[in-house]
Amino acid sequence: MKTIRTRVKINGETKEWTIAPGDLLLDVLRREGYLGVKRGCETGECGACTVLRNGRAINSCLLFAAQADGCELLTIEGVAQGDVLDPIQEAFLEHGAVQCGFCTPGMILNTKALLARHPDPTEEEVRDMLAGNYCRCTGFRKPIEAVLTAAQACRAKGRKKPTSARRARAR
Amino acid sequence: MLKREGRRACLVAGGTEAVVQRDRSIRTLVDVSRLGLCYIRRKGSGWAIGAATTMATLEESRQIREFADGILAAAVSTCGSMQIRNMATLGGNLANASPAADTPTPLLALDASVVLASSRGRRTVPLSEFFLGPSQTILNGALLVEILIPGPPRRGRTGWSFQKLGRTESDISVVNCAAGLQVGRTGKCIWARVALGAVAPTPLRAQGAEAALIGQPVTKELIEAACDAVLREIRPIADLRASAEYHREMSLVLTRRALRQCAQRAGCPL
Repeated sequence: MKTIRTRVKINGETKEWTIAPGDLLLDVLRREGYLGVKRGCETGECGACTVLRNGRAINSCLLFAAQADGCELLTIEGVAQGDVLDPIQEAFLEHGAVQCGFCTPGMILNTKALLARHPDPTEEEVRDMLAGNYCRCTGFRKPIEAVLTAAQACRAKGRKKPTSARRARAR
Repeated sequence: MLKREGRRACLVAGGTEAVVQRDRSIRTLVDVSRLGLCYIRRKGSGWAIGAATTMATLEESRQIREFADGILAAAVSTCGSMQIRNMATLGGNLANASPAADTPTPLLALDASVVLASSRGRRTVPLSEFFLGPSQTILNGALLVEILIPGPPRRGRTGWSFQKLGRTESDISVVNCAAGLQVGRTGKCIWARVALGAVAPTPLRAQGAEAALIGQPVTKELIEAACDAVLREIRPIADLRASAEYHREMSLVLTRRALRQCAQRAGCPL
Protein backbone atom coordinates (compact mmCIF):
# COMPACT_ATOMS: atom_id res chain seq x y z
CA MET A 1 0.00 0.00 0.00
CA LYS A 2 1.03 3.56 -0.67
CA THR A 3 2.46 5.37 2.34
CA ILE A 4 3.11 9.00 3.11
CA ARG A 5 5.68 10.52 5.45
CA THR A 6 4.12 13.21 7.55
CA ARG A 7 5.69 15.54 10.05
CA VAL A 8 3.82 17.20 12.90
CA LYS A 9 4.67 19.08 16.05
CA ILE A 10 2.70 17.38 18.77
CA ASN A 11 2.66 18.54 22.38
CA GLY A 12 5.78 20.56 21.57
CA GLU A 13 7.74 17.65 20.05
CA THR A 14 8.43 17.17 16.36
CA LYS A 15 7.41 13.70 15.15
CA GLU A 16 7.55 11.97 11.82
CA TRP A 17 4.97 9.33 11.07
CA THR A 18 4.48 6.94 8.20
CA ILE A 19 0.80 6.86 7.35
CA ALA A 20 -1.52 5.56 4.66
CA PRO A 21 -3.32 8.22 2.58
CA GLY A 22 -6.74 7.36 3.99
CA ASP A 23 -5.64 7.13 7.65
CA LEU A 24 -7.64 9.28 10.01
CA LEU A 25 -5.83 11.40 12.55
CA LEU A 26 -7.67 9.68 15.41
CA ASP A 27 -6.33 6.26 14.36
CA VAL A 28 -2.79 7.53 13.90
CA LEU A 29 -2.76 9.32 17.26
CA ARG A 30 -3.96 6.24 19.13
CA ARG A 31 -1.52 4.02 17.22
CA GLU A 32 1.28 6.38 18.25
CA GLY A 33 0.29 6.06 21.91
CA TYR A 34 -1.77 9.20 22.50
CA LEU A 35 -4.51 7.24 24.23
CA GLY A 36 -6.04 10.32 25.86
CA VAL A 37 -7.61 10.89 22.44
CA LYS A 38 -10.79 8.84 22.80
CA ARG A 39 -12.59 6.90 20.11
CA GLY A 40 -16.28 7.66 20.43
CA CYS A 41 -18.86 7.99 17.67
CA GLU A 42 -16.38 8.33 14.76
CA THR A 43 -18.81 10.62 12.95
CA GLY A 44 -17.93 13.99 14.45
CA GLU A 45 -20.83 14.12 16.87
CA CYS A 46 -19.48 13.31 20.33
CA GLY A 47 -16.23 15.27 20.59
CA ALA A 48 -14.37 12.57 22.57
CA CYS A 49 -11.59 12.61 19.94
CA THR A 50 -11.09 16.40 20.13
CA VAL A 51 -7.53 17.64 19.67
CA LEU A 52 -6.20 21.11 18.89
CA ARG A 53 -4.78 21.71 15.43
CA ASN A 54 -2.94 25.03 15.23
CA GLY A 55 -4.82 26.10 18.35
CA ARG A 56 -8.29 25.18 17.08
CA ALA A 57 -10.43 22.34 18.41
CA ILE A 58 -11.24 19.72 15.79
CA ASN A 59 -12.68 16.22 15.74
CA SER A 60 -9.70 14.00 14.93
CA CYS A 61 -12.08 11.28 13.69
CA LEU A 62 -12.99 13.51 10.73
CA LEU A 63 -9.54 14.65 9.71
CA PHE A 64 -7.30 12.70 7.37
CA ALA A 65 -3.94 12.45 9.12
CA ALA A 66 -2.27 13.68 5.93
CA GLN A 67 -4.10 16.98 6.42
CA ALA A 68 -2.29 17.48 9.73
CA ASP A 69 1.09 17.54 7.96
CA GLY A 70 3.12 20.54 9.11
CA CYS A 71 0.56 21.39 11.81
CA GLU A 72 0.93 21.86 15.54
CA LEU A 73 -1.19 19.43 17.51
CA LEU A 74 -2.09 19.40 21.17
CA THR A 75 -3.58 16.37 22.91
CA ILE A 76 -4.56 16.06 26.56
CA GLU A 77 -1.11 14.51 27.23
CA GLY A 78 0.48 17.89 26.48
CA VAL A 79 -1.81 20.11 28.56
CA ALA A 80 -0.15 19.80 31.99
CA GLN A 81 3.37 21.19 32.43
CA GLY A 82 5.09 18.16 33.95
CA ASP A 83 3.40 17.60 37.29
CA VAL A 84 1.71 21.00 37.28
CA LEU A 85 -1.85 20.80 36.05
CA ASP A 86 -3.32 23.42 33.77
CA PRO A 87 -5.81 25.76 35.53
CA ILE A 88 -8.54 24.19 33.39
CA GLN A 89 -7.66 20.71 34.70
CA GLU A 90 -7.58 22.08 38.26
CA ALA A 91 -11.01 23.63 37.81
CA PHE A 92 -12.50 20.40 36.45
CA LEU A 93 -11.20 18.51 39.51
CA GLU A 94 -12.29 21.20 41.93
CA HIS A 95 -15.85 21.25 40.56
CA GLY A 96 -16.28 17.48 40.34
CA ALA A 97 -16.73 17.88 36.60
CA VAL A 98 -15.16 14.47 35.94
CA GLN A 99 -16.91 11.18 36.59
CA CYS A 100 -15.99 8.42 34.17
CA GLY A 101 -13.64 10.83 32.40
CA PHE A 102 -14.18 9.61 28.85
CA CYS A 103 -15.36 12.97 27.57
CA THR A 104 -13.00 15.00 29.76
CA PRO A 105 -9.93 15.27 27.47
CA GLY A 106 -12.13 16.64 24.69
CA MET A 107 -13.86 19.08 27.01
CA ILE A 108 -10.58 20.37 28.42
CA LEU A 109 -9.00 20.85 25.00
CA ASN A 110 -12.09 22.57 23.62
CA THR A 111 -12.05 24.83 26.68
CA LYS A 112 -8.37 25.59 26.17
CA ALA A 113 -9.02 26.73 22.60
CA LEU A 114 -12.01 28.80 23.67
CA LEU A 115 -10.18 30.59 26.49
CA ALA A 116 -7.22 31.36 24.23
CA ARG A 117 -9.60 33.30 21.97
CA HIS A 118 -12.17 34.51 24.49
CA PRO A 119 -10.60 34.85 27.95
CA ASP A 120 -13.92 36.05 29.35
CA PRO A 121 -16.67 33.88 27.81
CA THR A 122 -20.34 34.20 28.77
CA GLU A 123 -22.15 31.13 30.06
CA GLU A 124 -23.96 31.07 26.71
CA GLU A 125 -20.64 30.84 24.85
CA VAL A 126 -19.45 28.10 27.20
CA ARG A 127 -22.65 26.13 26.58
CA ASP A 128 -22.27 26.54 22.82
CA MET A 129 -18.68 25.29 23.03
CA LEU A 130 -19.53 22.28 25.24
CA ALA A 131 -22.35 21.33 22.84
CA GLY A 132 -19.55 19.71 20.84
CA ASN A 133 -18.62 17.35 23.69
CA TYR A 134 -21.19 14.78 24.69
CA CYS A 135 -21.19 13.71 28.32
CA ARG A 136 -23.51 10.93 29.38
CA CYS A 137 -22.74 10.66 33.09
CA THR A 138 -21.64 13.91 34.76
CA GLY A 139 -23.96 16.13 32.79
CA PHE A 140 -23.05 19.66 31.85
CA ARG A 141 -23.69 21.76 34.96
CA LYS A 142 -20.37 20.94 36.62
CA PRO A 143 -18.27 21.30 33.46
CA ILE A 144 -19.89 24.70 32.75
CA GLU A 145 -19.03 25.85 36.27
CA ALA A 146 -15.50 24.50 35.86
CA VAL A 147 -14.94 26.34 32.58
CA LEU A 148 -16.18 29.63 34.05
CA THR A 149 -13.90 29.16 37.08
CA ALA A 150 -10.98 28.27 34.83
CA ALA A 151 -11.57 31.41 32.79
CA GLN A 152 -11.48 33.44 35.97
CA ALA A 153 -8.31 31.69 37.15
CA CYS A 154 -6.61 32.29 33.82
CA ARG A 155 -7.55 35.97 33.83
CA ALA A 156 -6.47 36.35 37.45
CA LYS A 157 -3.03 35.20 36.43
CA GLY A 158 -2.91 38.56 34.71
CA ARG A 159 -2.15 37.16 31.29
CA LYS A 160 -3.96 35.57 28.44
CA LYS A 161 -3.88 31.79 28.32
CA PRO A 162 -1.03 30.93 26.00
CA THR A 163 -2.32 29.06 22.98
CA SER A 164 -0.54 25.86 22.09
CA ALA A 165 1.00 27.64 19.12
CA ARG A 166 2.29 30.55 21.15
CA ARG A 167 3.62 28.33 23.85
CA ALA A 168 5.40 26.13 21.36
CA ARG A 169 7.09 29.17 19.88
CA ALA A 170 8.17 30.33 23.33
CA ARG A 171 10.11 27.11 23.87
CA MET B 1 -6.39 14.14 -11.24
CA LEU B 2 -10.10 14.82 -10.86
CA LYS B 3 -10.60 14.35 -14.56
CA ARG B 4 -8.64 11.10 -14.71
CA GLU B 5 -10.25 9.52 -11.68
CA GLY B 6 -13.80 10.71 -12.28
CA ARG B 7 -16.21 9.30 -9.74
CA ARG B 8 -13.48 7.42 -7.92
CA ALA B 9 -11.97 10.72 -6.76
CA CYS B 10 -13.28 12.76 -3.89
CA LEU B 11 -12.43 16.32 -2.96
CA VAL B 12 -11.63 16.86 0.70
CA ALA B 13 -11.65 20.27 2.35
CA GLY B 14 -12.80 20.13 5.97
CA GLY B 15 -13.38 16.37 5.80
CA THR B 16 -16.62 16.63 7.74
CA GLU B 17 -18.57 15.22 4.80
CA ALA B 18 -16.01 13.11 2.93
CA VAL B 19 -15.10 11.12 6.04
CA VAL B 20 -18.64 10.63 7.30
CA GLN B 21 -19.82 9.31 3.90
CA ARG B 22 -17.31 6.41 4.08
CA ASP B 23 -17.73 5.77 0.38
CA ARG B 24 -15.72 2.62 -0.34
CA SER B 25 -15.66 3.26 -4.08
CA ILE B 26 -13.38 6.29 -3.58
CA ARG B 27 -9.81 5.53 -4.68
CA THR B 28 -8.30 9.01 -4.68
CA LEU B 29 -8.61 11.81 -2.15
CA VAL B 30 -7.75 15.32 -3.30
CA ASP B 31 -7.05 17.76 -0.47
CA VAL B 32 -8.17 21.27 -1.41
CA SER B 33 -7.72 22.78 2.04
CA ARG B 34 -4.32 24.27 1.23
CA LEU B 35 -4.79 25.89 -2.14
CA GLY B 36 -4.90 29.38 -0.68
CA LEU B 37 -8.69 29.39 -0.80
CA CYS B 38 -9.19 30.58 2.79
CA TYR B 39 -9.91 34.29 2.63
CA ILE B 40 -12.55 36.97 3.05
CA ARG B 41 -11.84 39.92 0.73
CA ARG B 42 -13.65 43.14 0.01
CA LYS B 43 -14.84 43.24 -3.58
CA GLY B 44 -16.48 46.53 -4.51
CA SER B 45 -19.22 46.99 -1.95
CA GLY B 46 -19.51 43.20 -1.53
CA TRP B 47 -17.31 40.26 -0.64
CA ALA B 48 -15.27 37.51 -2.22
CA ILE B 49 -14.91 34.47 0.04
CA GLY B 50 -12.50 31.62 -0.66
CA ALA B 51 -14.30 28.27 -0.91
CA ALA B 52 -12.11 26.65 1.77
CA THR B 53 -12.85 29.33 4.38
CA THR B 54 -14.11 27.62 7.53
CA MET B 55 -17.41 28.35 9.22
CA ALA B 56 -15.50 29.49 12.33
CA THR B 57 -13.47 32.03 10.33
CA LEU B 58 -16.66 33.48 8.87
CA GLU B 59 -18.39 33.50 12.23
CA GLU B 60 -15.48 35.37 13.83
CA SER B 61 -15.10 37.92 11.03
CA ARG B 62 -16.35 41.29 12.20
CA GLN B 63 -17.10 42.31 8.60
CA ILE B 64 -19.23 39.23 7.97
CA ARG B 65 -21.01 39.72 11.30
CA GLU B 66 -21.86 43.29 10.30
CA PHE B 67 -22.68 42.67 6.64
CA ALA B 68 -26.43 42.46 5.84
CA ASP B 69 -27.41 42.33 9.51
CA GLY B 70 -25.07 39.37 9.90
CA ILE B 71 -27.31 36.78 8.22
CA LEU B 72 -24.40 34.75 6.85
CA ALA B 73 -22.61 34.85 10.21
CA ALA B 74 -25.85 33.78 11.93
CA ALA B 75 -26.21 30.85 9.55
CA VAL B 76 -22.61 29.58 9.83
CA SER B 77 -22.75 29.77 13.63
CA THR B 78 -25.43 27.05 13.55
CA CYS B 79 -23.41 24.68 11.35
CA GLY B 80 -22.64 22.01 13.95
CA SER B 81 -20.41 22.08 17.00
CA MET B 82 -17.39 24.33 17.55
CA GLN B 83 -15.13 21.51 16.36
CA ILE B 84 -17.17 21.00 13.19
CA ARG B 85 -17.23 24.75 12.49
CA ASN B 86 -13.43 24.77 12.80
CA MET B 87 -13.24 22.17 10.02
CA ALA B 88 -16.26 22.57 7.75
CA THR B 89 -15.89 25.00 4.85
CA LEU B 90 -18.32 27.27 3.06
CA GLY B 91 -17.49 25.75 -0.33
CA GLY B 92 -17.97 22.25 1.10
CA ASN B 93 -21.38 23.15 2.48
CA LEU B 94 -22.46 24.34 -0.98
CA ALA B 95 -20.84 21.57 -3.04
CA ASN B 96 -22.34 18.95 -0.77
CA ALA B 97 -25.75 20.25 -1.93
CA SER B 98 -27.83 19.11 0.99
CA PRO B 99 -31.33 20.58 0.56
CA ALA B 100 -31.25 21.32 4.31
CA ALA B 101 -27.86 23.08 4.40
CA ASP B 102 -27.73 26.33 6.35
CA THR B 103 -25.49 28.55 4.22
CA PRO B 104 -27.20 28.39 0.78
CA THR B 105 -30.33 30.21 2.00
CA PRO B 106 -28.62 33.41 3.21
CA LEU B 107 -26.36 33.30 0.15
CA LEU B 108 -29.39 33.02 -2.15
CA ALA B 109 -31.02 35.96 -0.37
CA LEU B 110 -27.77 37.89 -0.88
CA ASP B 111 -27.74 37.13 -4.65
CA ALA B 112 -24.41 35.32 -4.32
CA SER B 113 -22.68 33.64 -7.21
CA VAL B 114 -20.00 30.97 -7.27
CA VAL B 115 -16.76 30.85 -9.22
CA LEU B 116 -15.98 27.44 -10.71
CA ALA B 117 -12.57 26.44 -12.05
CA SER B 118 -11.83 23.56 -14.40
CA SER B 119 -9.21 22.69 -17.00
CA ARG B 120 -11.26 24.80 -19.43
CA GLY B 121 -10.97 27.92 -17.29
CA ARG B 122 -13.09 29.82 -14.81
CA ARG B 123 -16.71 30.78 -14.92
CA THR B 124 -19.05 32.59 -12.57
CA VAL B 125 -22.54 31.19 -12.05
CA PRO B 126 -25.41 32.54 -9.94
CA LEU B 127 -25.86 30.35 -6.87
CA SER B 128 -29.53 29.95 -7.85
CA GLU B 129 -28.36 27.89 -10.87
CA PHE B 130 -25.79 25.84 -8.95
CA PHE B 131 -28.03 23.23 -7.30
CA LEU B 132 -29.72 20.52 -9.36
CA GLY B 133 -31.11 18.25 -6.64
CA PRO B 134 -30.13 16.53 -3.40
CA SER B 135 -26.32 16.05 -3.53
CA GLN B 136 -26.37 17.22 -7.17
CA THR B 137 -24.79 20.36 -8.56
CA ILE B 138 -23.58 21.65 -11.91
CA LEU B 139 -19.94 21.11 -10.79
CA ASN B 140 -19.32 18.03 -12.97
CA GLY B 141 -15.62 17.79 -12.12
CA ALA B 142 -15.03 21.53 -11.74
CA LEU B 143 -13.71 22.98 -8.50
CA LEU B 144 -15.70 25.55 -6.54
CA VAL B 145 -13.08 28.19 -5.73
CA GLU B 146 -14.86 31.34 -4.62
CA ILE B 147 -18.19 32.70 -3.44
CA LEU B 148 -19.06 36.23 -4.55
CA ILE B 149 -21.53 38.35 -2.62
CA PRO B 150 -22.52 41.64 -4.25
CA GLY B 151 -23.06 44.76 -2.18
CA PRO B 152 -26.63 45.11 -0.92
CA PRO B 153 -29.01 47.45 -2.77
CA ARG B 154 -28.26 51.07 -1.98
CA ARG B 155 -31.37 53.22 -2.02
CA GLY B 156 -33.74 53.18 0.93
CA ARG B 157 -33.38 51.20 4.13
CA THR B 158 -32.67 47.50 4.19
CA GLY B 159 -33.30 44.79 6.74
CA TRP B 160 -32.17 41.16 6.73
CA SER B 161 -33.00 38.08 8.75
CA PHE B 162 -31.98 34.43 9.07
CA GLN B 163 -34.29 31.99 10.84
CA LYS B 164 -33.67 28.33 11.52
CA LEU B 165 -35.61 25.59 13.15
CA GLY B 166 -33.60 22.54 14.18
CA ARG B 167 -33.98 19.96 16.89
CA THR B 168 -31.12 21.76 18.64
CA GLU B 169 -29.46 24.97 17.59
CA SER B 170 -26.51 23.23 15.95
CA ASP B 171 -28.49 20.37 14.39
CA ILE B 172 -29.26 20.31 10.68
CA SER B 173 -32.32 22.37 9.76
CA VAL B 174 -35.91 21.16 9.78
CA VAL B 175 -36.56 24.38 7.92
CA ASN B 176 -34.46 27.50 7.48
CA CYS B 177 -35.31 30.83 5.93
CA ALA B 178 -33.34 33.92 4.95
CA ALA B 179 -34.90 37.16 3.79
CA GLY B 180 -33.98 40.69 2.85
CA LEU B 181 -36.22 43.72 2.35
CA GLN B 182 -35.52 47.16 0.99
CA VAL B 183 -38.01 49.82 1.92
CA GLY B 184 -38.34 53.18 0.17
CA ARG B 185 -39.09 56.54 1.72
CA THR B 186 -42.83 56.09 1.29
CA GLY B 187 -42.80 52.84 3.28
CA LYS B 188 -43.23 50.69 0.19
CA CYS B 189 -41.14 47.62 -0.38
CA ILE B 190 -38.87 48.21 -3.37
CA TRP B 191 -36.81 45.04 -3.33
CA ALA B 192 -37.23 41.68 -1.62
CA ARG B 193 -35.51 38.32 -1.29
CA VAL B 194 -36.95 35.24 0.38
CA ALA B 195 -35.06 31.92 0.40
CA LEU B 196 -35.86 28.65 2.17
CA GLY B 197 -33.96 25.47 2.93
CA ALA B 198 -35.07 21.88 3.61
CA VAL B 199 -38.45 22.29 1.89
CA ALA B 200 -37.59 21.35 -1.71
CA PRO B 201 -35.02 19.16 -3.52
CA THR B 202 -32.69 22.17 -3.52
CA PRO B 203 -32.40 25.36 -1.48
CA LEU B 204 -35.08 27.56 -2.97
CA ARG B 205 -35.73 31.21 -3.73
CA ALA B 206 -39.41 31.96 -3.25
CA GLN B 207 -39.80 34.34 -6.17
CA GLY B 208 -43.58 34.40 -5.93
CA ALA B 209 -43.32 35.71 -2.39
CA GLU B 210 -40.78 38.31 -3.49
CA ALA B 211 -43.11 39.47 -6.28
CA ALA B 212 -45.99 39.72 -3.80
CA LEU B 213 -43.91 42.04 -1.61
CA ILE B 214 -42.48 44.44 -4.19
CA GLY B 215 -44.31 47.72 -4.72
CA GLN B 216 -46.58 47.29 -1.68
CA PRO B 217 -46.61 49.14 1.65
CA VAL B 218 -44.92 46.90 4.26
CA THR B 219 -47.65 45.77 6.66
CA LYS B 220 -48.52 42.67 8.65
CA GLU B 221 -51.10 41.79 5.99
CA LEU B 222 -48.53 42.04 3.22
CA ILE B 223 -46.22 39.68 5.11
CA GLU B 224 -49.11 37.20 5.46
CA ALA B 225 -49.69 37.40 1.71
CA ALA B 226 -45.99 36.66 1.12
CA CYS B 227 -46.20 33.68 3.48
CA ASP B 228 -49.16 32.32 1.49
CA ALA B 229 -47.11 32.70 -1.68
CA VAL B 230 -44.26 30.72 -0.04
CA LEU B 231 -46.66 27.84 0.61
CA ARG B 232 -47.43 27.67 -3.11
CA GLU B 233 -43.73 27.43 -4.00
CA ILE B 234 -42.28 24.91 -1.58
CA ARG B 235 -42.36 21.16 -2.19
CA PRO B 236 -41.57 19.62 1.19
CA ILE B 237 -41.36 15.88 1.75
CA ALA B 238 -41.63 13.81 4.90
CA ASP B 239 -38.16 12.89 6.14
CA LEU B 240 -36.74 11.57 9.38
CA ARG B 241 -36.89 15.04 10.93
CA ALA B 242 -40.47 16.02 10.18
CA SER B 243 -43.60 15.28 8.18
CA ALA B 244 -44.34 17.22 5.00
CA GLU B 245 -47.14 18.98 6.81
CA TYR B 246 -44.85 20.11 9.62
CA HIS B 247 -42.27 21.37 7.12
CA ARG B 248 -45.04 23.36 5.44
CA GLU B 249 -46.36 24.82 8.69
CA MET B 250 -42.88 25.77 9.89
CA SER B 251 -42.02 27.38 6.53
CA LEU B 252 -44.93 29.69 7.18
CA VAL B 253 -43.80 30.46 10.72
CA LEU B 254 -40.16 31.08 9.79
CA THR B 255 -41.00 33.20 6.74
CA ARG B 256 -43.30 35.31 8.89
CA ARG B 257 -40.61 35.73 11.56
CA ALA B 258 -37.94 36.52 8.99
CA LEU B 259 -40.01 39.13 7.14
CA ARG B 260 -41.18 40.78 10.35
CA GLN B 261 -37.59 41.03 11.54
CA CYS B 262 -36.51 42.42 8.15
CA ALA B 263 -39.24 45.07 8.33
CA GLN B 264 -38.22 45.97 11.85
CA ARG B 265 -34.56 46.22 10.91
CA ALA B 266 -35.45 48.36 7.90
CA GLY B 267 -37.18 50.72 10.31
CA CYS B 268 -40.81 49.84 9.45
CA PRO B 269 -43.12 49.62 12.45
CA LEU B 270 -45.71 46.90 11.83
